[in-house]
Amino acid sequence: MLRPFSTLDQKGEKILSKRDSLLRLVCKNKFIYISLLPTFVLLIIFRYYPAFSALYHSLFEWRGVRTEQFVGFANFVEMFKDFEFQTSLKNIAIITVTRVMISLTFPLLAAELTFNLRNLRTQYVYRTMFVVPMVVPVIVTLLLWGFIYRPDGLLNAILEALGLGYLCRSWLGNFNTALPAIIFIGFPWIAGLGTFAYLIYLAGLQAIPESLFEASTLDGATRIQQIFSIDIPLLMGQIKLILILTIIVVVQSYYIQLVLTEGGPGYATMVPGLHMYYNTFSYFRMGYGCAVGTFLFAIIFTLTVINRRYIRSAVEFEAK
Amino acid sequence: MRSKIYKGLIREVSKHICILTLIFLTLYPFSFLVVSSLKSHEDIIHNMVGLPQVIRWINYIVAWKKVNIYILNSIMMSGATVGMVIFLASYTGFIFARHKFPGREFLFYAIIALLMIPRELTLIPLFIIVRDLGLLNSRWGCIIPWTSGGLVFGIFIMRTFMASLPEEIFESARLDGANETQLYLKIALPLSVPIVIAVGIMHFVNTWNDIIWPLVTITREELKPVTIGLMSFQAIDPYAQNYGPLFAGYLLTSIPLIILFMFTMKYYIRGLLAGAIKM
Repeated sequence: MLRPFSTLDQKGEKILSKRDSLLRLVCKNKFIYISLLPTFVLLIIFRYYPAFSALYHSLFEWRGVRTEQFVGFANFVEMFKDFEFQTSLKNIAIITVTRVMISLTFPLLAAELTFNLRNLRTQYVYRTMFVVPMVVPVIVTLLLWGFIYRPDGLLNAILEALGLGYLCRSWLGNFNTALPAIIFIGFPWIAGLGTFAYLIYLAGLQAIPESLFEASTLDGATRIQQIFSIDIPLLMGQIKLILILTIIVVVQSYYIQLVLTEGGPGYATMVPGLHMYYNTFSYFRMGYGCAVGTFLFAIIFTLTVINRRYIRSAVEFEAK
Repeated sequence: MRSKIYKGLIREVSKHICILTLIFLTLYPFSFLVVSSLKSHEDIIHNMVGLPQVIRWINYIVAWKKVNIYILNSIMMSGATVGMVIFLASYTGFIFARHKFPGREFLFYAIIALLMIPRELTLIPLFIIVRDLGLLNSRWGCIIPWTSGGLVFGIFIMRTFMASLPEEIFESARLDGANETQLYLKIALPLSVPIVIAVGIMHFVNTWNDIIWPLVTITREELKPVTIGLMSFQAIDPYAQNYGPLFAGYLLTSIPLIILFMFTMKYYIRGLLAGAIKM
Protein backbone atom coordinates (compact mmCIF):
# COMPACT_ATOMS: atom_id res chain seq x y z
CA MET A 1 0.00 0.00 0.00
CA LEU A 2 1.25 3.44 -0.91
CA ARG A 3 1.64 5.87 1.92
CA PRO A 4 0.74 9.52 1.35
CA PHE A 5 3.70 11.85 1.50
CA SER A 6 2.47 13.64 4.59
CA THR A 7 3.36 10.74 6.93
CA LEU A 8 6.97 11.10 5.94
CA ASP A 9 7.54 14.34 7.81
CA GLN A 10 9.96 14.20 10.68
CA LYS A 11 7.48 13.12 13.33
CA GLY A 12 5.77 10.54 11.14
CA GLU A 13 9.04 8.94 10.17
CA LYS A 14 9.92 8.51 13.78
CA ILE A 15 6.67 6.71 14.55
CA LEU A 16 7.07 4.57 11.48
CA SER A 17 10.58 3.45 12.37
CA LYS A 18 9.55 2.81 15.95
CA ARG A 19 6.75 0.57 14.79
CA ASP A 20 9.07 -1.21 12.40
CA SER A 21 11.59 -1.88 15.10
CA LEU A 22 8.88 -3.19 17.42
CA LEU A 23 7.77 -5.54 14.67
CA ARG A 24 11.34 -6.62 14.15
CA LEU A 25 11.72 -7.21 17.88
CA VAL A 26 8.57 -9.30 17.98
CA CYS A 27 9.80 -11.33 14.98
CA LYS A 28 13.21 -11.77 16.50
CA ASN A 29 11.59 -13.11 19.66
CA LYS A 30 9.00 -15.26 17.96
CA PHE A 31 10.38 -18.43 19.52
CA ILE A 32 9.80 -16.94 22.94
CA TYR A 33 6.15 -16.31 22.16
CA ILE A 34 5.78 -19.77 20.70
CA SER A 35 7.26 -21.40 23.77
CA LEU A 36 4.97 -19.35 26.04
CA LEU A 37 1.99 -20.61 24.08
CA PRO A 38 1.26 -23.87 25.97
CA THR A 39 1.20 -22.04 29.30
CA PHE A 40 -1.14 -19.36 28.00
CA VAL A 41 -3.44 -21.81 26.25
CA LEU A 42 -3.86 -23.70 29.53
CA LEU A 43 -4.41 -20.54 31.56
CA ILE A 44 -6.87 -19.02 29.10
CA ILE A 45 -9.01 -22.14 28.75
CA PHE A 46 -8.95 -23.29 32.36
CA ARG A 47 -8.55 -20.05 34.33
CA TYR A 48 -9.46 -16.94 32.38
CA TYR A 49 -12.44 -18.22 30.47
CA PRO A 50 -14.12 -19.82 33.54
CA ALA A 51 -13.70 -16.61 35.55
CA PHE A 52 -15.38 -14.45 32.93
CA SER A 53 -17.96 -17.10 32.20
CA ALA A 54 -18.93 -17.15 35.88
CA LEU A 55 -19.31 -13.37 36.08
CA TYR A 56 -21.33 -13.43 32.85
CA HIS A 57 -23.59 -16.32 33.80
CA SER A 58 -24.37 -14.84 37.22
CA LEU A 59 -26.86 -12.70 35.25
CA PHE A 60 -28.53 -15.69 33.61
CA GLU A 61 -30.86 -18.52 34.35
CA TRP A 62 -28.47 -21.27 33.30
CA ARG A 63 -28.64 -25.01 33.78
CA GLY A 64 -25.29 -25.82 32.23
CA VAL A 65 -26.59 -26.29 28.71
CA ARG A 66 -26.73 -23.89 25.78
CA THR A 67 -30.19 -22.52 26.50
CA GLU A 68 -29.73 -19.65 28.90
CA GLN A 69 -31.98 -16.79 29.73
CA PHE A 70 -30.93 -13.30 30.74
CA VAL A 71 -32.47 -12.39 34.08
CA GLY A 72 -30.46 -9.32 35.11
CA PHE A 73 -29.78 -9.19 38.81
CA ALA A 74 -32.61 -11.57 39.69
CA ASN A 75 -30.17 -14.21 40.92
CA PHE A 76 -28.61 -11.76 43.35
CA VAL A 77 -31.99 -10.52 44.55
CA GLU A 78 -33.15 -14.09 45.09
CA MET A 79 -29.91 -14.89 46.88
CA PHE A 80 -30.30 -12.18 49.49
CA LYS A 81 -33.96 -13.10 50.03
CA ASP A 82 -33.17 -16.80 50.44
CA PHE A 83 -33.40 -17.89 54.07
CA GLU A 84 -30.76 -20.58 53.53
CA PHE A 85 -28.32 -18.00 52.19
CA GLN A 86 -29.10 -15.55 55.02
CA THR A 87 -28.41 -18.28 57.56
CA SER A 88 -25.20 -19.19 55.75
CA LEU A 89 -24.05 -15.55 55.95
CA LYS A 90 -24.70 -15.50 59.67
CA ASN A 91 -22.84 -18.78 60.11
CA ILE A 92 -19.83 -17.73 58.05
CA ALA A 93 -19.64 -14.50 60.05
CA ILE A 94 -19.56 -16.48 63.31
CA ILE A 95 -17.01 -18.96 61.94
CA THR A 96 -14.77 -16.21 60.54
CA VAL A 97 -14.76 -14.09 63.69
CA THR A 98 -13.99 -17.04 65.97
CA ARG A 99 -11.36 -18.45 63.59
CA VAL A 100 -9.65 -15.06 63.42
CA MET A 101 -9.57 -14.79 67.21
CA ILE A 102 -8.19 -18.30 67.40
CA SER A 103 -5.46 -17.77 64.83
CA LEU A 104 -4.32 -14.60 66.58
CA THR A 105 -3.99 -16.25 69.98
CA PHE A 106 -3.22 -19.97 70.12
CA PRO A 107 -0.47 -20.12 67.46
CA LEU A 108 1.03 -16.92 68.88
CA LEU A 109 1.03 -18.44 72.36
CA ALA A 110 2.75 -21.57 71.04
CA ALA A 111 5.30 -19.47 69.14
CA GLU A 112 6.07 -17.34 72.23
CA LEU A 113 6.51 -20.43 74.37
CA THR A 114 8.80 -22.06 71.83
CA PHE A 115 10.80 -18.88 71.31
CA ASN A 116 11.37 -18.37 75.02
CA LEU A 117 13.03 -21.72 75.63
CA ARG A 118 16.69 -21.36 76.46
CA ASN A 119 17.97 -24.34 74.54
CA LEU A 120 17.93 -23.97 70.74
CA ARG A 121 17.93 -27.73 70.34
CA THR A 122 14.69 -28.12 72.36
CA GLN A 123 13.23 -25.19 70.45
CA TYR A 124 13.82 -27.12 67.24
CA VAL A 125 12.37 -30.36 68.64
CA TYR A 126 9.19 -28.66 69.84
CA ARG A 127 8.81 -26.81 66.56
CA THR A 128 9.01 -30.10 64.69
CA MET A 129 6.37 -31.63 66.95
CA PHE A 130 3.98 -28.76 66.30
CA VAL A 131 4.52 -29.13 62.57
CA VAL A 132 3.99 -32.91 62.50
CA PRO A 133 0.17 -32.82 61.97
CA MET A 134 0.88 -31.24 58.58
CA VAL A 135 1.83 -34.68 57.23
CA VAL A 136 -1.65 -36.04 57.92
CA PRO A 137 -3.98 -35.55 54.94
CA VAL A 138 -6.76 -33.05 55.60
CA ILE A 139 -9.44 -35.62 54.85
CA VAL A 140 -8.06 -37.97 57.54
CA THR A 141 -8.11 -35.19 60.14
CA LEU A 142 -11.70 -34.37 59.19
CA LEU A 143 -12.98 -37.94 59.25
CA LEU A 144 -11.16 -38.49 62.54
CA TRP A 145 -12.92 -35.48 64.10
CA GLY A 146 -16.13 -36.79 62.62
CA PHE A 147 -15.55 -39.94 64.65
CA ILE A 148 -14.63 -37.97 67.77
CA TYR A 149 -18.05 -36.23 67.60
CA ARG A 150 -20.13 -39.34 66.93
CA PRO A 151 -22.68 -40.42 69.56
CA ASP A 152 -20.49 -43.48 70.18
CA GLY A 153 -17.31 -41.50 69.57
CA LEU A 154 -14.24 -40.44 71.50
CA LEU A 155 -15.51 -37.16 73.00
CA ASN A 156 -18.50 -38.83 74.61
CA ALA A 157 -16.30 -41.68 75.85
CA ILE A 158 -13.96 -39.19 77.52
CA LEU A 159 -16.88 -37.29 79.07
CA GLU A 160 -18.28 -40.57 80.34
CA ALA A 161 -14.92 -41.49 81.87
CA LEU A 162 -14.75 -38.10 83.60
CA GLY A 163 -18.20 -38.64 85.09
CA LEU A 164 -19.75 -36.00 82.83
CA GLY A 165 -21.97 -38.47 81.01
CA TYR A 166 -24.96 -36.12 81.16
CA LEU A 167 -23.18 -33.86 78.64
CA CYS A 168 -22.99 -36.61 76.02
CA ARG A 169 -24.77 -35.98 72.74
CA SER A 170 -24.44 -36.29 69.00
CA TRP A 171 -22.27 -33.21 68.67
CA LEU A 172 -22.70 -32.69 64.92
CA GLY A 173 -26.34 -33.79 64.89
CA ASN A 174 -27.53 -31.31 67.48
CA PHE A 175 -28.84 -27.89 66.46
CA ASN A 176 -27.07 -26.01 69.22
CA THR A 177 -23.72 -27.76 69.15
CA ALA A 178 -23.15 -28.43 65.43
CA LEU A 179 -21.65 -25.04 64.58
CA PRO A 180 -19.47 -24.78 67.72
CA ALA A 181 -18.32 -28.36 67.05
CA ILE A 182 -17.26 -27.41 63.52
CA ILE A 183 -15.29 -24.47 64.89
CA PHE A 184 -13.74 -26.61 67.63
CA ILE A 185 -12.20 -29.01 65.08
CA GLY A 186 -8.44 -29.05 65.35
CA PHE A 187 -8.29 -27.92 68.99
CA PRO A 188 -5.87 -26.45 70.17
CA TRP A 189 -5.76 -25.09 66.63
CA ILE A 190 -2.04 -25.24 66.01
CA ALA A 191 -2.58 -27.80 63.25
CA GLY A 192 -3.71 -26.84 59.74
CA LEU A 193 -3.91 -23.11 59.15
CA GLY A 194 -2.55 -22.69 62.68
CA THR A 195 0.74 -24.38 61.77
CA PHE A 196 1.23 -21.75 59.15
CA ALA A 197 0.47 -18.93 61.59
CA TYR A 198 2.76 -20.55 64.17
CA LEU A 199 5.66 -20.68 61.71
CA ILE A 200 5.12 -17.08 60.60
CA TYR A 201 5.01 -15.82 64.21
CA LEU A 202 8.06 -17.86 65.20
CA ALA A 203 10.10 -16.60 62.23
CA GLY A 204 9.02 -13.05 63.12
CA LEU A 205 10.11 -13.45 66.74
CA GLN A 206 13.46 -14.85 65.69
CA ALA A 207 14.02 -11.81 63.48
CA ILE A 208 13.74 -9.36 66.40
CA PRO A 209 17.25 -8.08 67.23
CA GLU A 210 18.65 -9.54 70.43
CA SER A 211 19.84 -6.10 71.55
CA LEU A 212 16.28 -4.86 72.04
CA PHE A 213 15.61 -7.55 74.64
CA GLU A 214 18.95 -6.96 76.33
CA ALA A 215 18.43 -3.23 76.61
CA SER A 216 14.96 -3.54 78.10
CA THR A 217 16.14 -6.26 80.51
CA LEU A 218 18.79 -3.81 81.77
CA ASP A 219 16.00 -1.32 82.28
CA GLY A 220 14.31 -3.87 84.51
CA ALA A 221 11.51 -5.06 82.23
CA THR A 222 10.18 -8.56 82.89
CA ARG A 223 9.66 -10.96 80.01
CA ILE A 224 5.88 -10.55 80.22
CA GLN A 225 6.22 -6.77 79.93
CA GLN A 226 8.55 -7.28 76.97
CA ILE A 227 5.97 -9.41 75.19
CA PHE A 228 3.51 -6.53 75.24
CA SER A 229 5.98 -3.71 74.65
CA ILE A 230 8.41 -5.36 72.19
CA ASP A 231 7.17 -8.65 70.69
CA ILE A 232 3.59 -7.77 69.80
CA PRO A 233 4.31 -4.30 68.36
CA LEU A 234 7.12 -5.73 66.24
CA LEU A 235 4.93 -8.66 65.13
CA MET A 236 2.14 -6.34 63.99
CA GLY A 237 2.96 -7.00 60.32
CA GLN A 238 2.71 -10.76 60.81
CA ILE A 239 -0.45 -10.41 62.88
CA LYS A 240 -2.17 -8.38 60.17
CA LEU A 241 -1.03 -10.85 57.52
CA ILE A 242 -2.43 -13.82 59.45
CA LEU A 243 -5.64 -11.88 60.11
CA ILE A 244 -6.30 -11.18 56.45
CA LEU A 245 -5.18 -14.62 55.21
CA THR A 246 -7.39 -16.33 57.78
CA ILE A 247 -10.38 -14.34 56.61
CA ILE A 248 -9.64 -15.06 52.94
CA VAL A 249 -9.26 -18.80 53.57
CA VAL A 250 -12.21 -19.18 55.96
CA VAL A 251 -14.75 -17.12 54.01
CA GLN A 252 -14.50 -19.36 50.95
CA SER A 253 -14.06 -22.74 52.60
CA TYR A 254 -16.87 -25.26 52.92
CA TYR A 255 -15.14 -28.62 52.62
CA ILE A 256 -15.49 -29.34 56.35
CA GLN A 257 -19.26 -29.05 56.15
CA LEU A 258 -19.33 -30.91 52.85
CA VAL A 259 -17.62 -33.91 54.43
CA LEU A 260 -19.14 -33.86 57.92
CA THR A 261 -22.58 -32.23 58.09
CA GLU A 262 -23.85 -31.31 54.60
CA GLY A 263 -24.83 -27.99 56.14
CA GLY A 264 -27.20 -29.56 58.63
CA PRO A 265 -28.91 -30.20 60.91
CA GLY A 266 -31.37 -27.90 59.14
CA TYR A 267 -29.17 -25.02 58.04
CA ALA A 268 -27.21 -24.99 61.30
CA THR A 269 -23.81 -25.27 59.63
CA MET A 270 -24.64 -23.98 56.14
CA VAL A 271 -22.09 -21.58 54.60
CA PRO A 272 -22.21 -19.63 51.29
CA GLY A 273 -19.73 -21.92 49.49
CA LEU A 274 -21.80 -24.97 50.35
CA HIS A 275 -24.99 -23.17 49.35
CA MET A 276 -23.38 -22.59 45.95
CA TYR A 277 -22.21 -26.19 45.74
CA TYR A 278 -25.63 -27.71 46.40
CA ASN A 279 -27.49 -25.33 44.11
CA THR A 280 -25.03 -26.21 41.35
CA PHE A 281 -24.47 -29.92 41.69
CA SER A 282 -27.72 -31.05 43.30
CA TYR A 283 -30.28 -28.68 41.74
CA PHE A 284 -28.25 -27.81 38.60
CA ARG A 285 -28.94 -24.10 39.05
CA MET A 286 -25.63 -23.04 37.53
CA GLY A 287 -26.58 -19.38 36.99
CA TYR A 288 -27.62 -18.95 40.61
CA GLY A 289 -24.46 -20.77 41.71
CA CYS A 290 -22.39 -18.33 39.65
CA ALA A 291 -24.11 -15.43 41.41
CA VAL A 292 -23.10 -16.82 44.82
CA GLY A 293 -19.59 -17.38 43.43
CA THR A 294 -19.47 -13.78 42.22
CA PHE A 295 -20.50 -12.58 45.66
CA LEU A 296 -17.69 -14.58 47.28
CA PHE A 297 -15.27 -13.31 44.66
CA ALA A 298 -16.19 -9.69 45.45
CA ILE A 299 -15.40 -10.20 49.14
CA ILE A 300 -12.15 -12.04 48.55
CA PHE A 301 -11.00 -9.65 45.84
CA THR A 302 -11.49 -6.69 48.19
CA LEU A 303 -9.56 -8.41 50.96
CA THR A 304 -6.74 -9.36 48.58
CA VAL A 305 -6.41 -5.77 47.41
CA ILE A 306 -6.31 -4.55 51.02
CA ASN A 307 -3.69 -7.20 51.75
CA ARG A 308 -1.47 -6.19 48.83
CA ARG A 309 -1.86 -2.46 49.39
CA TYR A 310 -1.50 -2.09 53.11
CA ILE A 311 -0.32 -5.26 54.74
CA ARG A 312 2.07 -7.28 52.62
CA SER A 313 4.72 -4.58 52.57
CA ALA A 314 4.76 -4.51 56.36
CA VAL A 315 6.18 -8.03 56.56
CA GLU A 316 9.74 -8.00 55.32
CA PHE A 317 11.93 -10.79 56.52
CA GLU A 318 13.97 -13.57 55.05
CA ALA A 319 12.04 -16.84 55.21
CA LYS A 320 14.14 -19.50 56.89
CA MET B 1 21.04 -15.61 94.52
CA ARG B 2 19.91 -19.18 95.02
CA SER B 3 16.23 -18.23 95.09
CA LYS B 4 16.79 -16.44 91.80
CA ILE B 5 18.13 -19.63 90.25
CA TYR B 6 15.16 -21.58 91.60
CA LYS B 7 12.79 -19.01 90.19
CA GLY B 8 14.41 -19.29 86.78
CA LEU B 9 14.20 -23.06 86.96
CA ILE B 10 10.53 -23.01 87.90
CA ARG B 11 9.81 -20.61 85.08
CA GLU B 12 11.66 -22.81 82.58
CA VAL B 13 9.86 -25.96 83.78
CA SER B 14 6.45 -24.30 83.60
CA LYS B 15 7.15 -23.22 80.03
CA HIS B 16 7.95 -26.82 79.13
CA ILE B 17 4.75 -28.00 80.81
CA CYS B 18 2.66 -25.48 78.86
CA ILE B 19 4.23 -26.45 75.54
CA LEU B 20 3.98 -30.18 76.21
CA THR B 21 0.29 -29.76 77.08
CA LEU B 22 -0.32 -27.98 73.77
CA ILE B 23 1.65 -30.63 71.88
CA PHE B 24 -0.20 -33.44 73.67
CA LEU B 25 -3.59 -31.93 72.79
CA THR B 26 -2.46 -31.39 69.19
CA LEU B 27 -1.15 -34.90 68.69
CA TYR B 28 -3.62 -36.84 70.85
CA PRO B 29 -6.25 -37.45 68.13
CA PHE B 30 -3.57 -38.88 65.88
CA SER B 31 -2.14 -41.18 68.53
CA PHE B 32 -5.71 -42.29 69.22
CA LEU B 33 -5.99 -43.10 65.52
CA VAL B 34 -2.80 -45.18 65.57
CA VAL B 35 -3.81 -47.13 68.68
CA SER B 36 -7.37 -47.73 67.50
CA SER B 37 -6.24 -48.97 64.11
CA LEU B 38 -4.82 -52.02 65.87
CA LYS B 39 -7.98 -52.85 67.85
CA SER B 40 -10.97 -55.03 67.11
CA HIS B 41 -14.32 -53.32 66.71
CA GLU B 42 -15.56 -54.39 70.16
CA ASP B 43 -12.31 -53.26 71.70
CA ILE B 44 -12.75 -49.79 70.19
CA ILE B 45 -16.35 -49.45 71.36
CA HIS B 46 -15.87 -50.76 74.90
CA ASN B 47 -12.32 -49.64 75.56
CA MET B 48 -12.04 -46.44 73.60
CA VAL B 49 -9.22 -44.65 75.37
CA GLY B 50 -7.22 -47.72 76.45
CA LEU B 51 -4.52 -49.73 74.71
CA PRO B 52 -5.50 -52.70 72.47
CA GLN B 53 -6.18 -55.95 74.28
CA VAL B 54 -4.99 -57.91 71.27
CA ILE B 55 -3.00 -56.28 68.49
CA ARG B 56 -4.76 -56.95 65.20
CA TRP B 57 -2.41 -56.40 62.27
CA ILE B 58 -5.06 -57.95 60.08
CA ASN B 59 -6.87 -54.60 60.09
CA TYR B 60 -4.11 -53.27 57.88
CA ILE B 61 -4.39 -56.16 55.43
CA VAL B 62 -8.15 -55.70 55.17
CA ALA B 63 -7.75 -51.94 54.71
CA TRP B 64 -4.92 -52.26 52.19
CA LYS B 65 -7.08 -54.34 49.86
CA LYS B 66 -9.56 -51.50 49.87
CA VAL B 67 -7.40 -48.38 49.76
CA ASN B 68 -4.45 -49.43 47.57
CA ILE B 69 -6.31 -48.33 44.46
CA TYR B 70 -7.06 -44.89 45.99
CA ILE B 71 -3.42 -44.41 46.93
CA LEU B 72 -2.29 -45.42 43.45
CA ASN B 73 -4.78 -43.01 41.84
CA SER B 74 -3.70 -40.15 44.08
CA ILE B 75 -0.02 -40.77 43.37
CA MET B 76 -0.65 -40.89 39.63
CA MET B 77 -2.85 -37.80 39.54
CA SER B 78 -0.85 -35.62 41.92
CA GLY B 79 2.43 -36.86 40.46
CA ALA B 80 1.45 -36.06 36.86
CA THR B 81 0.18 -32.63 37.91
CA VAL B 82 3.35 -31.80 39.80
CA GLY B 83 5.49 -32.92 36.85
CA MET B 84 3.57 -30.69 34.47
CA VAL B 85 3.57 -27.71 36.83
CA ILE B 86 7.30 -27.96 37.46
CA PHE B 87 8.10 -28.23 33.76
CA LEU B 88 5.79 -25.45 32.55
CA ALA B 89 6.36 -23.11 35.50
CA SER B 90 10.14 -23.42 35.46
CA TYR B 91 10.62 -22.70 31.78
CA THR B 92 7.96 -20.00 31.72
CA GLY B 93 9.59 -18.48 34.79
CA PHE B 94 12.98 -18.76 33.08
CA ILE B 95 11.74 -16.91 29.99
CA PHE B 96 10.19 -14.14 32.05
CA ALA B 97 13.25 -13.84 34.28
CA ARG B 98 16.07 -13.91 31.75
CA HIS B 99 14.69 -12.53 28.50
CA LYS B 100 13.57 -9.12 27.34
CA PHE B 101 10.81 -9.06 24.76
CA PRO B 102 7.97 -6.72 23.89
CA GLY B 103 4.96 -7.21 26.16
CA ARG B 104 6.90 -9.10 28.82
CA GLU B 105 5.54 -7.23 31.83
CA PHE B 106 2.02 -7.15 30.41
CA LEU B 107 1.99 -10.92 29.85
CA PHE B 108 3.48 -11.53 33.28
CA TYR B 109 0.87 -9.44 35.04
CA ALA B 110 -1.81 -11.15 32.98
CA ILE B 111 -0.68 -14.37 34.67
CA ILE B 112 -0.27 -12.92 38.16
CA ALA B 113 -3.71 -11.32 38.11
CA LEU B 114 -5.12 -14.85 38.27
CA LEU B 115 -3.91 -15.08 41.87
CA MET B 116 -6.79 -12.77 42.77
CA ILE B 117 -9.43 -15.16 41.51
CA PRO B 118 -10.73 -17.64 44.07
CA ARG B 119 -11.58 -21.16 43.05
CA GLU B 120 -15.19 -20.76 44.11
CA LEU B 121 -15.76 -18.33 41.25
CA THR B 122 -14.40 -20.60 38.54
CA LEU B 123 -15.73 -23.90 39.91
CA ILE B 124 -18.96 -24.06 37.92
CA PRO B 125 -17.77 -22.97 34.42
CA LEU B 126 -14.66 -25.12 34.84
CA PHE B 127 -16.89 -28.08 35.56
CA ILE B 128 -18.88 -27.34 32.39
CA ILE B 129 -15.67 -27.10 30.30
CA VAL B 130 -14.32 -30.36 31.67
CA ARG B 131 -17.69 -32.00 31.06
CA ASP B 132 -17.85 -30.71 27.47
CA LEU B 133 -14.30 -31.93 26.81
CA GLY B 134 -15.48 -35.39 27.90
CA LEU B 135 -13.04 -35.48 30.81
CA LEU B 136 -15.49 -36.37 33.59
CA ASN B 137 -14.54 -39.66 35.19
CA SER B 138 -11.03 -39.43 33.83
CA ARG B 139 -7.74 -38.75 35.57
CA TRP B 140 -7.06 -35.96 33.08
CA GLY B 141 -10.20 -34.24 34.33
CA CYS B 142 -8.28 -33.58 37.53
CA ILE B 143 -4.74 -33.37 36.20
CA ILE B 144 -5.28 -30.56 33.68
CA PRO B 145 -7.34 -28.18 35.87
CA TRP B 146 -5.00 -28.81 38.80
CA THR B 147 -2.03 -28.01 36.58
CA SER B 148 -3.49 -24.74 35.39
CA GLY B 149 -4.35 -23.93 38.99
CA GLY B 150 -0.85 -24.52 40.37
CA LEU B 151 0.88 -22.95 37.40
CA VAL B 152 0.19 -19.34 38.35
CA PHE B 153 1.82 -19.47 41.75
CA GLY B 154 4.64 -21.65 40.36
CA ILE B 155 5.51 -19.18 37.59
CA PHE B 156 5.46 -16.30 40.06
CA ILE B 157 7.87 -17.98 42.51
CA MET B 158 10.14 -19.36 39.76
CA ARG B 159 10.48 -16.02 38.01
CA THR B 160 11.35 -14.26 41.24
CA PHE B 161 13.98 -16.85 42.04
CA MET B 162 15.52 -17.12 38.59
CA ALA B 163 15.72 -13.35 38.24
CA SER B 164 17.93 -13.32 41.32
CA LEU B 165 20.55 -15.60 39.72
CA PRO B 166 23.69 -13.64 38.71
CA GLU B 167 23.80 -12.66 35.04
CA GLU B 168 27.54 -13.45 34.74
CA ILE B 169 26.95 -17.21 34.78
CA PHE B 170 24.58 -16.96 31.83
CA GLU B 171 26.87 -14.53 30.02
CA SER B 172 29.90 -16.79 30.24
CA ALA B 173 27.86 -19.81 29.16
CA ARG B 174 26.63 -17.83 26.15
CA LEU B 175 30.22 -16.97 25.26
CA ASP B 176 31.01 -20.68 25.39
CA GLY B 177 28.33 -21.17 22.76
CA ALA B 178 25.41 -22.47 24.86
CA ASN B 179 21.97 -21.99 23.30
CA GLU B 180 18.84 -21.02 25.24
CA THR B 181 17.69 -24.57 25.85
CA GLN B 182 21.07 -25.42 27.31
CA LEU B 183 21.04 -22.30 29.47
CA TYR B 184 17.68 -23.43 30.89
CA LEU B 185 18.53 -27.11 31.32
CA LYS B 186 22.16 -26.89 32.40
CA ILE B 187 22.23 -23.66 34.42
CA ALA B 188 18.89 -22.18 35.44
CA LEU B 189 17.17 -25.44 36.37
CA PRO B 190 20.02 -27.02 38.40
CA LEU B 191 20.53 -23.78 40.33
CA SER B 192 16.81 -23.61 41.12
CA VAL B 193 16.45 -27.09 42.59
CA PRO B 194 15.42 -25.93 46.10
CA ILE B 195 12.65 -23.71 44.75
CA VAL B 196 11.57 -26.39 42.27
CA ILE B 197 11.22 -28.83 45.15
CA ALA B 198 9.32 -26.27 47.22
CA VAL B 199 6.84 -25.57 44.42
CA GLY B 200 6.51 -29.27 43.63
CA ILE B 201 5.82 -30.38 47.19
CA MET B 202 3.38 -27.57 47.90
CA HIS B 203 1.41 -28.44 44.82
CA PHE B 204 1.58 -32.14 45.60
CA VAL B 205 0.14 -31.55 49.08
CA ASN B 206 -2.56 -29.21 47.79
CA THR B 207 -3.78 -31.65 45.16
CA TRP B 208 -3.45 -34.65 47.47
CA ASN B 209 -5.76 -32.84 49.92
CA ASP B 210 -8.24 -31.54 47.36
CA ILE B 211 -11.71 -32.83 48.11
CA ILE B 212 -14.11 -30.73 46.07
CA TRP B 213 -12.78 -31.07 42.54
CA PRO B 214 -12.50 -34.91 42.51
CA LEU B 215 -15.88 -35.07 44.20
CA VAL B 216 -17.59 -33.29 41.31
CA THR B 217 -15.63 -34.89 38.46
CA ILE B 218 -15.08 -38.50 39.52
CA THR B 219 -17.77 -41.00 40.43
CA ARG B 220 -16.21 -44.27 39.29
CA GLU B 221 -14.82 -46.20 42.22
CA GLU B 222 -11.66 -47.38 40.44
CA LEU B 223 -10.62 -43.79 39.59
CA LYS B 224 -11.12 -42.21 43.00
CA PRO B 225 -8.19 -40.53 44.74
CA VAL B 226 -7.61 -40.86 48.48
CA THR B 227 -9.80 -37.95 49.61
CA ILE B 228 -13.07 -39.06 48.11
CA GLY B 229 -12.10 -42.72 48.27
CA LEU B 230 -11.97 -42.54 52.06
CA MET B 231 -15.35 -40.84 52.10
CA SER B 232 -16.93 -43.71 50.19
CA PHE B 233 -14.94 -46.27 52.20
CA GLN B 234 -16.67 -44.76 55.21
CA ALA B 235 -20.12 -44.45 53.66
CA ILE B 236 -21.01 -47.52 51.62
CA ASP B 237 -18.60 -50.18 52.74
CA PRO B 238 -19.65 -53.13 54.93
CA TYR B 239 -16.54 -52.33 56.99
CA ALA B 240 -18.04 -48.96 57.86
CA GLN B 241 -19.35 -50.54 61.02
CA ASN B 242 -15.91 -51.93 61.68
CA TYR B 243 -13.73 -49.08 62.84
CA GLY B 244 -10.44 -50.98 63.07
CA PRO B 245 -9.85 -51.43 59.31
CA LEU B 246 -11.32 -47.99 58.66
CA PHE B 247 -8.72 -46.34 60.90
CA ALA B 248 -5.99 -48.53 59.44
CA GLY B 249 -7.09 -47.25 56.04
CA TYR B 250 -6.80 -43.65 57.23
CA LEU B 251 -3.23 -44.31 58.29
CA LEU B 252 -2.25 -46.20 55.14
CA THR B 253 -3.39 -43.31 52.98
CA SER B 254 -1.28 -40.94 55.09
CA ILE B 255 1.94 -42.86 54.45
CA PRO B 256 2.88 -41.35 51.07
CA LEU B 257 2.68 -37.82 52.49
CA ILE B 258 4.64 -38.85 55.58
CA ILE B 259 7.43 -40.31 53.44
CA LEU B 260 7.44 -37.23 51.24
CA PHE B 261 7.64 -34.88 54.21
CA MET B 262 10.49 -36.85 55.77
CA PHE B 263 12.70 -35.65 52.93
CA THR B 264 11.24 -32.31 52.00
CA MET B 265 9.77 -30.71 55.14
CA LYS B 266 12.24 -27.85 55.18
CA TYR B 267 11.62 -27.00 51.52
CA TYR B 268 7.89 -27.09 52.17
CA ILE B 269 8.13 -24.71 55.12
CA ARG B 270 10.39 -22.38 53.15
CA GLY B 271 7.96 -22.34 50.23
CA LEU B 272 5.00 -21.77 52.53
CA LEU B 273 6.63 -18.78 54.23
CA ALA B 274 7.99 -17.32 50.99
CA GLY B 275 4.59 -17.69 49.33
CA ALA B 276 2.73 -15.91 52.10
CA ILE B 277 5.04 -12.93 52.03
CA LYS B 278 5.07 -12.50 48.30
CA MET B 279 1.50 -13.15 47.34
